[in-house]
Amino acid sequence: MEILRYIGYGLLVIGGIFLFLGALGIYRMPDLYNRLQAGTKATTIGAMSAILGVGFIEPAWMVKTIIIVIFIGIANPLSSHALARAAYKAGLKPIMKKKVDAYEKVQDIEVKEEVKL
Amino acid sequence: MKKVLVLVLLVIVGYFLTDTFNLIPFGENRIGNPQDEQTVAGYYLNNTVEKTSVANTVTAIVVNYRGFDTLGEVTVLFLATTGLGSILFRRKEDEEEIERINKPSSSLMQTGSRVLFPLIALLGIYVFIHGHLTPGGGFQGGAIIATGFLLMLISYKNFKAGHTMLNWVESLAGITFVSIGLWGLLTGGTFLENVLPAGELNNLISGGVIPIIYIAVGFKVAAELTGVLDILLNIKPKK
Repeated sequence: MEILRYIGYGLLVIGGIFLFLGALGIYRMPDLYNRLQAGTKATTIGAMSAILGVGFIEPAWMVKTIIIVIFIGIANPLSSHALARAAYKAGLKPIMKKKVDAYEKVQDIEVKEEVKL
Repeated sequence: MKKVLVLVLLVIVGYFLTDTFNLIPFGENRIGNPQDEQTVAGYYLNNTVEKTSVANTVTAIVVNYRGFDTLGEVTVLFLATTGLGSILFRRKEDEEEIERINKPSSSLMQTGSRVLFPLIALLGIYVFIHGHLTPGGGFQGGAIIATGFLLMLISYKNFKAGHTMLNWVESLAGITFVSIGLWGLLTGGTFLENVLPAGELNNLISGGVIPIIYIAVGFKVAAELTGVLDILLNIKPKK
């Protein structure tokens, strides 16, 4: 069981590094889209790794931490996607050296379904 | 004349407020020693586990000792929903703007929220079913369920939280709360008397009527907050 503890500590350190890099990216990047991608990618893997590390240190909580990790894996990219899409629709242009806007040409796939409670 | 009237009213209110607050000694420890049975805090901390067999003392106070107050709180929430429904809804003249606002969100968001919604609802139900054992309870669980509905409402623009069903859920929960209170009045002697057997500490089915009331409160709060969100997000065309 000692090995599990050390794996947990390692995951915590990795998570801490990623979270720090995410914070640095939010501070350093020039515009909203870059900041979002730095923030989301780094904090998703950072939080997942740190929470999984807690699960390894305390094996009784393993199932709960895995559920939380799955939830973060779904919810974090989803919210970031919604933010970026809303910013694009509101007319915020990304800072680019070469003007390549692939999203402009893509036909936005919109699902229209009747959903009732 | 109006200003004089306001001044007179202010003086009267100020006089009675200071008169009342003068009765309470400033800075004194009113709660007292929690170990002392004579103080309110001490009574609750020392007796809730034995008498109601509820692990969460806050739940025991909110639902049992101060149950009447909770009934009032839930009623206030209901009144707030009614007020919002009759006063605060958005009307827009511009057809194009309505079209722009009512555009559906991306397919990724729609699929994601359809995956997340049952999980959020499950968490909310867990929180209010275990209200007497763990932190949280009816109000918190109801708010969690309402966030799930908010996710669905912003992902699917044609998602309708059926108002008839919400009203039914809300009314049934309110009726459950009041009828349990009246049952206590008829059999035990006081309103909201804990008439069911207390059961064993830390069991899911324990604490008499407390879990039943908290489940009713959870459903009521969830229905009310969902109604508020639906009203605030809905945009009606101006006639």
